[in-house]
Parts: sequence; structure tokens; C-alpha cells
Amino acid sequence: MDLYVAAFGFGLVSMSVIAIAAVGFTMQFGITNMINLAYGEVMISSAYVAYYLNKAGISIWIGMIAGALFGAVFSFLLNRIVYAPFLRKGTSHIGMVIVSLAVSLMIANLLLPIVGYYNVSYQDTTGGLIRAGGIVLTTNQIAIIGIAVVLMLLIHGLLRYTRLGKAMRATAANPTLARNCGIPTQRVVDAVWLITGALCGLAGVVAAMNSDSFAIANGAGFLITALAAAVLGGAGQPYGAMIGAVIIGMVTELSAAAWAPEYKEVVAFGILVAVMVLRPQGLLAKRGALAAAG
Amino acid sequence: MNTYYAANLLIYAGVDIIALLALNLQFGVSGIVNFSFIVFQAAGAYTAAVLSLPPDSANGGFQIYFGGYQLPFPLPWLGGAVAGGLLSIPVGLVVLRKLRSDYQAIALLVLSIITNEVITNARPLLNGAAGLALVPPPLSDQIDPNTSSYQYFYVGLTAVCVVLVFVLVNRVVNSPYGRSLRAMREREIAAVAIGKNPVQLKLTVFIVGGVIAGLSGAILVGFIQLWAPSVWLYPETIILFAAIIVGGRGNNVGAILGALLVPVGFEEVTRFIPTTIGPPGLIPALQWVAIGLLIIGFLWFRPDGVRPEPRHVFDGAPVLEDVDHARGT
Repeated sequence: MDLYVAAFGFGLVSMSVIAIAAVGFTMQFGITNMINLAYGEVMISSAYVAYYLNKAGISIWIGMIAGALFGAVFSFLLNRIVYAPFLRKGTSHIGMVIVSLAVSLMIANLLLPIVGYYNVSYQDTTGGLIRAGGIVLTTNQIAIIGIAVVLMLLIHGLLRYTRLGKAMRATAANPTLARNCGIPTQRVVDAVWLITGALCGLAGVVAAMNSDSFAIANGAGFLITALAAAVLGGAGQPYGAMIGAVIIGMVTELSAAAWAPEYKEVVAFGILVAVMVLRPQGLLAKRGALAAAG
Repeated sequence: MNTYYAANLLIYAGVDIIALLALNLQFGVSGIVNFSFIVFQAAGAYTAAVLSLPPDSANGGFQIYFGGYQLPFPLPWLGGAVAGGLLSIPVGLVVLRKLRSDYQAIALLVLSIITNEVITNARPLLNGAAGLALVPPPLSDQIDPNTSSYQYFYVGLTAVCVVLVFVLVNRVVNSPYGRSLRAMREREIAAVAIGKNPVQLKLTVFIVGGVIAGLSGAILVGFIQLWAPSVWLYPETIILFAAIIVGGRGNNVGAILGALLVPVGFEEVTRFIPTTIGPPGLIPALQWVAIGLLIIGFLWFRPDGVRPEPRHVFDGAPVLEDVDHARGT
């Protein structure tokens, strides 16, 4: 039983990490209509930015901010240099998916000669242990949970109570209509890539902190869990992605305790398949995966 | 150029041509973005391997796997093709029925990553990460596989399969059925309106493609005699997509051209770049970057590929310029 209580604690951390990644992914998709398969690679690139700063003796918390900034700028440039020109050219939905997959392949392999094949890990990232009723977590894991909660509240505030958030929701619902109402959709889209890119970068750093060690190859795994949570919640739905993250995070950690830790991503995939068969539109979306493309 | 090198090149070319004809039928003609194509090729290869291998207690039991039936020659290849088709059925039923096309693509991509992970971790199934080795080549009990005449015999066998697949696929693409497929790809709602059932069409093409992919895997494993998770990672599918995009989507000749240009030509040319330049792994990594650039470059500058799909115009059909003119006024 203790095993499951401990796994519950890890589930809390895991869901926090996934929530940050999945909300960024789903907002990117919902507002810009772009399934960015390079998301996992941007996450891992940001994790490496924090790693090199950390290695130079800088605190991991500053590294985290640097990772978020890097993710924001990287995603913004990715859109400006690659995705936006293809979209303007009228490339189909599927064409864009193939482009983003090619980009993902290129990022991973440009990074590989720079950072090497070896697994690396941050220094001094564990902190002290805190025990509460069978749950054992490090102070840094508690901090990750705190960061995730604050970020989710900030996203909620942004979408509900600010002009930018309103403009984002309008752009997501109908870009042409939004532009006709005087919303500068181009700038809104730029802002979305910066904000979701920051979430992506931050998610990369916390995901790397939460795993013992990481390497380039982890990018695909990061993408799968974020995708699973986003699809489970209903693609393009930030609140859905939060719920999806809670479910995926908890189920994968409990299954790791009950079964085998190397099949965590397989369990996430199993959930993804079940959702696609039983409720392709996801938990929250009305249309989601069922709607006609583009 | 020695015999082995020539045979090796020709057999790889044949296997890639067969695979790309299948992928072209799925992606180029029917618009199914099968990002897990390599999984079906792997299914064929593994099946052919366990059908032709002796039971796993042989060879000192250094590898573990199920099966090991030691079946005579054509059966492992047929088994590989059947396995590719059988695997396509459940995957197709889950992915192709309700999902939007971009969701289909990501679901298949994730499937490809996860399947590889499962086979790598589940060692008792197919010997895990180490994979299967010492797969007996076809008819090796009758002809010595280490002679050059056997090499050419294998090239001949591959060539027969290439011709059979090409004839089959060409007939499908140029038939009224192929026209339905293209109609579905171009505008699914319009295809439904004239009474086509897109789910049925997609499932059929998916299964036919799976059968051909399985056959290509079986041919390959009979020649290279080993099969491991590291040879069917998901980026291998991206190479095949690059070949289709370069060759020309929807054009069978383009698919063959793509096979010769990208997986065969590109690999052969870059083989001569010394791998000692720069940090370890630099050159292989840059090869992948080049594949990515190839896809993006072609989609930008020449989205129809080297050999674009021929436009089919029928007698009495309105001339395109007239239609454009009518629309403009």
C-alpha cells in the first residue's frame, strides 16, 4: 500500500509537469491551428539551455527562466521562419504536420552533435525531503507543483480577464471574423507563440528536473505525454488539457508502481487510443478531432 | 564494383521501390498519412524471420523469440505479407474510421514510437533490443547463400516482386477504383456525395498497403539476415515520405524515382563522406538534417515533386482555363 501512496505523490508531480507542457501544446493548436510535432524537441532544447547554465554554476531556478525565454524565442522564430510562410502559401493541414515532423527531426539532429548522446542531469536539484503521510517528495518537486498551480491560474486569468486573452479566444474561434472586428490577429498569433513557447521551455526544464537524467531521445516521450493529455482533454481546450494532465499523470505513475516503469508511455498511449476510439472529440471539446480539417 | 555490393544495392533499391509503391498508394493516391508505415514493414520482417528461423533453443539459445517454424521458402515471405495485412486491420479500424486526417497522422506517429518501445522492452517476444540474428536466407538449404550466383538469384526474386507489385499498384491507381481514391483525397465530402464510402476505401487501401509493406520487410530480412528495433525507428518512415515528396505524390513512376533518389541515391552518395569529421555522430546527424531540409525544400519549391501526378482529362470535360475564366466573371 505504501508503494501506491508514494506513487500518488509522484503522480502529483508528474501531472504538474504534464499540465504545463499540455496546456502550451493545446493552446498552440487551438489558436494557431498548427499541430506542432516539434514541441517535444523545443522542450528538450530548453532543458539543455538550463543544463549548460546549471553546469556553469548558475542556480537551476534561473536556468528555468532562461529555458522558458529560450523556448519562447525559439517557438516564435520557428513560426515566423518556417510555419507562417508555409501557411501563407496555402499548405494543407497534412502538409503542415509533415513540415513540423521534418522540423522536429532537424532540431533533434542539429542538437545531437552539440550535446552528445549521453544522458545528463542537473546538479543540486533534489533539495531536502519532505514527508507527509507516506508521501515522500523533495522540496524541488513541491516547488514544481507550486509552479504548475501558479501557471495554470495565470493562464486562466489571461484567457478570462485580459483583452489579449479575449482576442486569443476570438482568434481561435474564427480568425477571419476576429480580423474583421479589428483584432490584430497577426500580433495575437505572435503572442501565442511566445506564451506557449515559454510554457514549452519551462515544461522541458521541469520535466528534465523530474527525471533522473535526460537525453535528446526523451523529446519524443515528452511529445507523446503532452499529446495524450491534450487529446484526452479535447484538442485546443486549455482546461481540457489540465484535466487530461491530471488523469495521464496519475494513471501513469500508479501503473508504474503496479506494473513496470518502462511502460509509462505505453500506458499514456493506451489512454490515447481509448479516447480516440470512445470519444475522439476529447473530454471537453464539442468538435475537436471530429471536425473537418481546415 | 564487387558482386556483393551490386547485389546489396539492387536489393535495397527493390525493397525501397516496393515499400514506396505501397506508401504512394496510401499517402500519394489516397491521402492517408501513414506515419507508422515502417511498423508494417517490421511486422513482415519479424514474421518472415520467426517463420524461417529454427526454434529459439537452437544456436545455443542465445536469443529468445516465439515461433521458429523453419518453413520452406515462399511461406515466410507470404507470411510476412499476411502479417502486414493483419496488423493493418485493427490499426485501420481504430485510426481511420472517425478521426480527422491530421489526428490520424499523429495517432500513427505515436503508434510507431510506442510499438518500437514495446518490442525493445519486451525481450521474450522478439529478443528485445538485440533483435533477431542468423535468419536463414530463402532456399539456403539448397543453394549456398555465400556464392555470387545466389546473390543474383536473390536480386532476381526481388525483381519479380517489384514487377508484380508495380503491375498491381498501377492497375489499382489507373482503374475507376483509383479514381474514387483520388476523389476521396481531393474532397472527401464530394466523394461521399457521389456514393463513395471513404472509410471502406481507406481501410482497403490501408490493408493492401500493409500487405505490400510486410512483403518488403520479408524480402529485406531474408537478405540482411537480422532485424532489430534500431532499424525500424520512426524516422525511417520520414525518409520514405521524403522519397514520395521528392518523386511526386500520386505518381507510381515518381515513387520509383523517389526510391532511387532518396533512400538509395542519397545514402550511397553520403556513404563516401568520411565519418571522422567533427564530433562523433556529426555526419549521420547531418544526414537526417538533410532529409528534413529535402522535405521542407521540396514542399516549398516543388510541392508536386520531380514527376508530378498526371492530370487526367476526359473528352468533353470543360477546359480548366475556361472554368477559371467563368469563375472570374
